[in-house]
Order: sequence, then C-alpha cells, then structure tokens
Amino acid sequence: MAKLRFYCIFLLYILIKCESASVDTISSDIRFKNVDRTIDISTQLVRITSKLTLENTGSTPVKNFLIAVESSAKNNAAFAGAKDSNNKDLRVVETTVKGYEYAKFWRVDLKEAVNPGATPQITVTLVLTKALLPYPTAITQQEDQLVKYIGNLYIYSPYYITSQKTNVILSSKSVESFTKVKPFTQQDGGIQYGPYPNVKPFSEKELAIHYKNNSPFLTVTRIERLIEVSHWGNIAVEEVIEIEHTGAKLKGPFSRYDYQQDHHSGPASVRSYKTLLPASASDVYYRDTNGNISTSNMKVKKDSVELDLRPRYPLFGGWRTHYTLGYNVPSYEYLYQSGNDYLLKMRVIDHIYDDMQVDEVVTKIILPEGSTSVKVNLPYPVTRLPDSLHYTYLDTKGRPVISFTKKNIVENHIEDFQLRYTFPRLLMLQEPLLVVGFLYALFLCVIIYVRLDFSIHKAEHPHKD
Amino acid sequence: MSLEIESMVRYTSPINPAVFPHLTLLLLGIGIFFTAWFFVYEVTSTKLSRDLFKELLLSLVASLFSGFGILFLLLWVGIFV
Repeated sequence: MAKLRFYCIFLLYILIKCESASVDTISSDIRFKNVDRTIDISTQLVRITSKLTLENTGSTPVKNFLIAVESSAKNNAAFAGAKDSNNKDLRVVETTVKGYEYAKFWRVDLKEAVNPGATPQITVTLVLTKALLPYPTAITQQEDQLVKYIGNLYIYSPYYITSQKTNVILSSKSVESFTKVKPFTQQDGGIQYGPYPNVKPFSEKELAIHYKNNSPFLTVTRIERLIEVSHWGNIAVEEVIEIEHTGAKLKGPFSRYDYQQDHHSGPASVRSYKTLLPASASDVYYRDTNGNISTSNMKVKKDSVELDLRPRYPLFGGWRTHYTLGYNVPSYEYLYQSGNDYLLKMRVIDHIYDDMQVDEVVTKIILPEGSTSVKVNLPYPVTRLPDSLHYTYLDTKGRPVISFTKKNIVENHIEDFQLRYTFPRLLMLQEPLLVVGFLYALFLCVIIYVRLDFSIHKAEHPHKD
Repeated sequence: MSLEIESMVRYTSPINPAVFPHLTLLLLGIGIFFTAWFFVYEVTSTKLSRDLFKELLLSLVASLFSGFGILFLLLWVGIFV
C-alpha cells in the first residue's frame, strides 16, 4: 500500500515537473513603453517586425519576457525571432501560459537582466504563412490578384503598451479597402496607424486590408532534401520539390496565345523563379519525370550559383509542378575531421525562391557505410524520423540514413545543422576491395574451368601432346 | 566528449579528385594488360605446361589493378561511392 502511494506521489511529482518546464507566467512588472510595428504584406508572407522599448516597472531585475500571437493567427506562425539593440540574436523558446491556452507564446531570454527603471530596445520578428487570403478566390487569366489581410490593429501582447504605432507595407498603390481607425495616414504603398496610447494587454481589434498583390504566391507543399556524403571528396545534394501556386485560382480557360503575345497577361502567374545554390555547387541538374527541363539558366556568381528555373508551363492559381534539383559540392566545404571523428555542417533547408513558404521538409542524410555513433545537433526543434538504411553502388550492409522533418518553414529557417559520426578510415578500402574480390573470383572460375574436361569421348592417347 | 568544430580540420579526400581520370586510365591500362596476359596464357598453355602459381599471380595482379581502376572510373564519372 505504501509502495502504491509512493508511486502515486512520484507520478504526480513528475506531472507537475513536466508541466512547469514549459509553462510561463506573465510578469506584471514589464511594460512596453513604445512599440514601433511594421507589417510587411508586400509578398506572400506576413512579416511583422516590432521594435519594442521594454520597461521594468517592478523592483526586481527581469530576465525574460513573452511574445504572443493571437488565436486566429496561431496556426500561421512559422517563425519567431528576437534581436537586441546590438543586433545579436536572442534565444526564443516556444512556451505556454496558464489561462491563455488559445494563444501562442514564445519566451525571449535576454542576455542581460533588465534592472528596474531600465529601458532596453529589442526587435522581434514574426513570420506568418498563409495569412493572406485571395479575395476573390478565383480570377481569370487577365485579372490582377487581390488579397485580404486580416490582422490585429493593436499589438497582441501580454503586457501593457504605453504607446504604439503600426506601419503597413503593401505591394502596390491600389488598395480596395482598409480599416480606418484614427489616427491613420495612407501614403503610396503603405498605411500608417497610430500612435495609439495606453493599450491594455491582449487587446484585439480587427485590421482588414484588401489590396492588389501580384507577387508570386508559391508554396512548396513538400521538399525532400537528400544529402549523400562520400569520403572520396564529394557531397551530393538532391532536392525533390513539389510546388503549387496557392494564390487565387484560375477561372475560365488558359490561352497560351494571349500569354505569349502580351507580356502583361497573367500578372498573377509565375513564369520563373530564382534558386540560389552554394558557390561551390557543380554538376547541377534540373529534371522531372520526363527528363531534363531545358528552359533553365545557370549563372555562377561570386558568392552563389544562381539558377533561373522556368517550369514547363507557367504556374497559375491551383496549378502545381514537381521536379528534381541536384548538385555536387566538395566535401571540404562542409565536412570536418579529427582522427576518426567527423562533423558535417550543412543547411537543414536551402533557398528555393525568395520569400518562400514550405509546408513540409524532409531532410535525409546518407552517411558512408560503416559510420557509427551518430549525433545530430539542430538549430530548432524538428521531428526526428526513424533511422534507415540506403543501398547503392558497392554496398554490403547498407548506409545509415538520418532523417528528420519539419512543417511550416520560411527563409528564416535556413540554418546549419551539425552531425557528428565516427568512421574508421580503413573502411574506405572496402569498396575497391569488393571489386577486386569480385574480379578475382571471376579469374578463379576461369582457372577452374580450363581444368574441366567436357569431351564426350575419352581421348585415346591422353598424353599424346 | 564531443569535439568542437574549431579544433577540427576540413576534410579532403585522400586522393585529389583532379587526378581521378589519370588514375583511372593508368590503373585500368595496367589491369587490362594483365587480364589480356592471363587469358592469352590460359588459352595457349596445355595441361602439361600450365603453372597454377603463375595463373594465380597473374589474375591477382590483374584483378587488383582492374578493381582500383574501376573504382576510380566510377568516381570520375560522378558515381561517388
């Protein structure tokens, strides 16, 4: 009985411990003295950059503060980042707050504690995907794309804000309608709201802007990135990409004649886009299930290789395409060594096009056969998939494959992972020796074959010659 | 204990990829020469004049050179094994 009680208490303790690890409380000491927010909706993404002036009104130093996203935009939030006044990145961790389960929170850990009375400046960046909805949802080939942004007029924050201003950056001058709450000014390509004084925590008021946005609305629905490490001096990268135009759907027919004749035809369509590869990329290929897609250009620049990819057909709303892009990079760019220990430092995902949004990425790393004790270090949380084996040329027991996946990715997620593994150098000889062994076995077969006698009748004079 | 990246050196292939074509041609050339020698020896020798030791030695040399030659051929054409 006592044992059972002990278990119960132990279980309760673990439960409390687990919960407290990811739950934060809202400090009443923190106030935002001034917030300058910029909402950039000129592309398919919503980029919210807020310059916060923090104020500690309490009597104890503050080490961290919270940033929040309202429940309506909760599922669109792809990235949250923070920088201090020296432009150094701060640690941002996802968290929850009791009583506010409907919203999404991040905790920003400050480098130095904020003393009472101090007012440091911090820049917070939020990136939302799929927050711009095409309205109307379907357009003809000639029409412009209109989209609607529905956000919050006030900064959604767990703290009291003394003064706040919002600047909205649009992609064009033509605005159909927008929320008018005084004071506001409309200039070409932008709307300024505020200053609004003394806004309570968690204030919400609809901010709706309906405007023209013909920037490419492309979504990578799935990308599989394959990194194959060879100790013969090469790292092969292959990306299988499924891409879809997620803007307003195409209504009615598509006229190739009009599209070709008039360059202004199909303003919302995507003809081509640019992919940036590492500067050392070579042997680039761009193909799909039909074979090579010849309508592409490659420019070698000083710090990158620029690919101008043109799909087989222009992409209109709702249209999708699928292709494979691959290249080689030399191992000395990304692979480090110390004895038998190796470290691979590469990007989790690379640039596909500017202002990209990716629904799902699967990164697979194929290590040389015989690699052991693999450890991965990732810049942000991902879902690790079960390790598997890959069989290719001259393999016996298969190469270990490390794979992980992440959903809702934007450009801010282009960061390096570090993968450590151990590989005995002598194992490199396994591959040539396999070929040697195979050839030697063939020769032995010949040696045995010439000693066999397949003649039907016995030689009359066996030792004649 | 894991090592820091600063204390590690950049990894390069034990054989410079630039010499893969030369190595392929040289090794495969020697390999084919010994293979030819082996087969010529096999078809011209008789039961009496055959020397097992010479056959084994010839085939070993041929397979060693051809094996490494084929590996570098694979690497040269871009199959990084």
